[in-house]
Amino acid sequence: MLIADLLKILGPQRRGALYRYFAWLLAYGVLEGLAVTLLVPVLRALLAQPLDMGALTGWLLALGGVVLCCCIARYQQSMQGFNLALVVLTSLHRRLGDHVATLPLGWFSGERIGRLSQSATNGTLMVTNIFAHLLTPVVTGLVTPCIIALAMLIFDWRLGLCALLSAPLILLAHRRASAAIGRTEEAVDHAAAQAGSRVVEFARQQPALRAFGQALGSYPPLEAAITAQKQAGGSMLDQTFPRLFASGLAVQLAFLALILTGLALAASGAADPAGLVALLVLAARFAGPLTETAARSGLLRMAGNDLRRLAAIFDEKPLPEPAEPARMDQPGSIAFDEVHFGYDPAQPVLRGLSFQVPSGSMVAIVGASGAGKSTIIRLIMRFFDVQAGAVRVGGADVREVATADLMAAIATVTQDVYLFDGTLEQAVRLGRADATEAELRHAADLAGVTEIVARLPQGWQTRVGEGGALLSGGERQRVSVARALLKQAPILLLDEATAALDPENERYVQRSIAALRGRATVLVIAHRLRTVSMADRILVLADGHVAEAGSHAELMQAGGAYAAFWHERQRAEGWRLLPRDQPMAPARDQPSP
Amino acid sequence: MTSIIDSPLAALRRPAMGLVRLGMVLGAVGALSQLLPFIFIARLGELLLAGSSQDRAALAGLGALVVAGLFIGWAANGAALWLTHIADHRIQADVRRALVAKLGRVPLGWYAENTTGAVRKAVQGDLEDLHHMVAHHYVDLTAAIALPLGGIAYLVWLDWRLALLAVASFPIYALAYGWMMRGFGAKMAQLDASFAQVNTAIVEFVHGIAVVKGFGRAGEAHSAYRAAVDGFSQRYAGWVRPLLRLEALTSMALSVPVILLVSLSGGAWLLADGQIAPMDLLAEIMVAVILPQSLLTLNQGLMAERKAAAAASRIDTLLRTPELPAAVHPRLPRDATICFNNVSFQYPDGATALSGIDLYCRPGTVTALVGPSGAGKSTLAKLAARFHDVSGGVVRIGGIDVRDIAGEALYRHVGFVLQEVGLLHGSIADNIRLGRPESPMAAVMAAARAAQIHDRIQQLPQGYDSIIGAGAQLSGGEAQRLSIARALLADTPILILDEATAHADPDSEARIQDALSAAARGRTVLVIAHRLSSIAGADQIVVMRDGTIAECGRHGALLASGGLYAALWQAEQGEPAC
Repeated sequence: MLIADLLKILGPQRRGALYRYFAWLLAYGVLEGLAVTLLVPVLRALLAQPLDMGALTGWLLALGGVVLCCCIARYQQSMQGFNLALVVLTSLHRRLGDHVATLPLGWFSGERIGRLSQSATNGTLMVTNIFAHLLTPVVTGLVTPCIIALAMLIFDWRLGLCALLSAPLILLAHRRASAAIGRTEEAVDHAAAQAGSRVVEFARQQPALRAFGQALGSYPPLEAAITAQKQAGGSMLDQTFPRLFASGLAVQLAFLALILTGLALAASGAADPAGLVALLVLAARFAGPLTETAARSGLLRMAGNDLRRLAAIFDEKPLPEPAEPARMDQPGSIAFDEVHFGYDPAQPVLRGLSFQVPSGSMVAIVGASGAGKSTIIRLIMRFFDVQAGAVRVGGADVREVATADLMAAIATVTQDVYLFDGTLEQAVRLGRADATEAELRHAADLAGVTEIVARLPQGWQTRVGEGGALLSGGERQRVSVARALLKQAPILLLDEATAALDPENERYVQRSIAALRGRATVLVIAHRLRTVSMADRILVLADGHVAEAGSHAELMQAGGAYAAFWHERQRAEGWRLLPRDQPMAPARDQPSP
Repeated sequence: MTSIIDSPLAALRRPAMGLVRLGMVLGAVGALSQLLPFIFIARLGELLLAGSSQDRAALAGLGALVVAGLFIGWAANGAALWLTHIADHRIQADVRRALVAKLGRVPLGWYAENTTGAVRKAVQGDLEDLHHMVAHHYVDLTAAIALPLGGIAYLVWLDWRLALLAVASFPIYALAYGWMMRGFGAKMAQLDASFAQVNTAIVEFVHGIAVVKGFGRAGEAHSAYRAAVDGFSQRYAGWVRPLLRLEALTSMALSVPVILLVSLSGGAWLLADGQIAPMDLLAEIMVAVILPQSLLTLNQGLMAERKAAAAASRIDTLLRTPELPAAVHPRLPRDATICFNNVSFQYPDGATALSGIDLYCRPGTVTALVGPSGAGKSTLAKLAARFHDVSGGVVRIGGIDVRDIAGEALYRHVGFVLQEVGLLHGSIADNIRLGRPESPMAAVMAAARAAQIHDRIQQLPQGYDSIIGAGAQLSGGEAQRLSIARALLADTPILILDEATAHADPDSEARIQDALSAAARGRTVLVIAHRLSSIAGADQIVVMRDGTIAECGRHGALLASGGLYAALWQAEQGEPAC
């Protein structure tokens, strides 16, 4: 299991290297066992009265030979272990990043995000540590005593039997201890991930928490998560330490049994004294490594858990990529064909949605909250696959297009704007790294980023902060419009909800759309009447399908849902914040339109 | 570096350090008693070889001593680690609480300079790193000193040549080790820094995954992550790769087979010469083999120990971060007025955000802050809730300097509807209750109704018990209405609101505005306005420009004066809504 997880993490091309490493590791364990076993004949020769120089020299030479082999094996396994550790360090993050980038967006829930960060940071170091420090002592600590037990059987069957009989006891105690560690460590890790997410939330939401007086005292959910983490840790200690004691005890008892057997043999005169003394030393070398292993196997088990959590991420399946990607031979067109989709298939959001957006046209989608407008954008970008029907971009089913091609065809301004920490210029250039200076300035002008740049002392070099936190909401949106413009993709998908925070932003968005008209396909989730009226065609979404479609004039004439929407929206845009018990005096000052 | 004695972390650790010291004593006992069985086995051997194997009492006596040594060692080592783990467990919880409490008290500006990746690292990662220091390092260190000292002392007592024989191969590794550890501290500091970047990059990468996907793999986002990751791994590999061969070769000097070979061949020579007794050699062999163990354990923990030390100093730094000073003699606001008196504010980087602000808001009136982006509207509003402390002048709520009002009292007086909603992982009801956790359900529902969000909540499968993010996927506008319900329930006499919230959800804009109107009634309202038409009826309109107040008055008067407001109004009217 550990090996299977290691293979997933290292990647298939390292299979040979991993197996070679394990082979050398085993060889080293066996050779060390042999070297220790040679203690017996060497000691016998040493303790012989008188000293048997001939035999001693012979056995010492033999020991020298085995130790040389030991050194070779040890060198091999160290170097190969180090190299694998370096492979993990240098490639794991990258492989993880590449893999995670292929996962469907539906995979990323808040908890998964916390878990992923935790696994990626701690996990890598832990895996490195497995190769560099953990596997060697644990494997040799098990293999060497096994060889010694077998050797004892040959030297003196009674002592050998004693060692072999104690093996199951030791193994059982080890297993119980490391199983308890593994189990409770899962709980501890889970509690830590929860508390970690809570801490990040506590940090992120400081403004809201402070505004409502929850930051100064204790914020109960975070307090609860910390308490849960403390309890998980406490229960780990309570459950594992007695078992670790028991597992240590098992080894000591085995050693004790060997000594008692030896003494009994000596007392009854059933063994030659020199041989017996040598065997008692061997017994010490039987117990020593096992004690060390008992101490380390818990660590290995914990590392194994980290490993499994990392491997589980690699097990997540990306959205299937086509074997032979289709070509998009109608650049800029979008079509939904009888699409059925729900985030939870039991609660469909889209029910048989069909519409077409011809290349170079501008289509506005309107509809109530929850009608599925944002879902349309996500499906076009293939964040999820549809449950029935087909989404076509550029004439090809999105499932048959290579992801890179699809992404190259689309620029988006979505509801949740996220900017990577870096300069304002980098944030906009994300749209297209090789854009010329002139193209950058043009996009910035249209989207209103130029105005931000002019206002900030460091201009284009201003840092935007993690997630864009150092910019205001409106500024972030302008940057996201600019980077979408800069991409110069044949299709622009735009969710106006967030892009229209204030009249200033609204004007910039509308200017940007106007500049794109005729040059790119624009699909906009529209909220502003002005934007809607710019569209060539308007789709009114209701209950997961198109309720009405047509131009503004046609739909107004039809007097249906769209006309109702229009009138309601006009009322809203004429609204004023005014406490009702205040006189309406200022209204008189308004110039009549 | 500041003294570790008076560090906040040391103070937090002090109560549990008694356990650690006891653990160290037990660790020393455990290490030394590891030697006992070997010493007595050698004596047993003497007895056996002397042919006195029939002396059962002597055999039994030595056997009992071997067993006693064995069990004392087992019990002492186990107990030592148990104690230090309990100590670590207590310290972790205490330090974690202290860190979180600190996070709630630092000025908000601190968050602009520290990423959430760094916060997570401090409160989770650094604390876990600390584990090694408290739970393992002190005991390991004690054992690493006690065992070799005790072992060598015993061998010297037997015969100094045996002691030399036991450590004969050590210098090879010691020299190599010294060579490998050159500049270790500086290297580790570099690695720490670059690993911190990896941490931040991971958090960013994962949160920005939609962007990563949207802009494809060639996008700069992914490459920023790669750059951080590659920087770290290259730096690390570059440092350790040349050392690996040396480490692999010289660490053999401490391996069991090599020590055995050295001890046995050297011993055979001394024995043949008649310089030592056979049983002393036997004792030497057994002791020599275990001597390096405790040193190796210490060395294997070296990385962890270095990490722990770095973590401890970061935790200390965070715990030392200055807090917004608490009121020394807290006073209560007398009424619902807001007063800015010659207020100025500078960002931590020294840039001026506000200067010379004088503004008075009468109880029950609506004051609107208008002006171009970046004029300082939000900053001014946030000073009223003491998100930051002013650089100069005074902000008074109810006639009292906000710095003299206790935190809780301030938030009972000043409520907020922020542009960034700040939904928390938890039930809808708990989110609405944020400011008044003790509110009954009926009050929560009343607030939700007033904020026009009640019906939407009822449609969710678990209603008010739906968990944000899990059972409840709210649109931006719905989240805004939830935050209005939150402010309504908090029922503060002063309300600061960002009018942009109304426009974030055009689907329900009219309803949000009704909700905001309801919220404004009877309160002192400070509104950050984006559409002038929305606030034309306000009692006082404050026109801001470049961090100062350019104009102030009612709509009619401002329009008549033909200044900045009139120009903004013209611009807005010139771009009609449709």
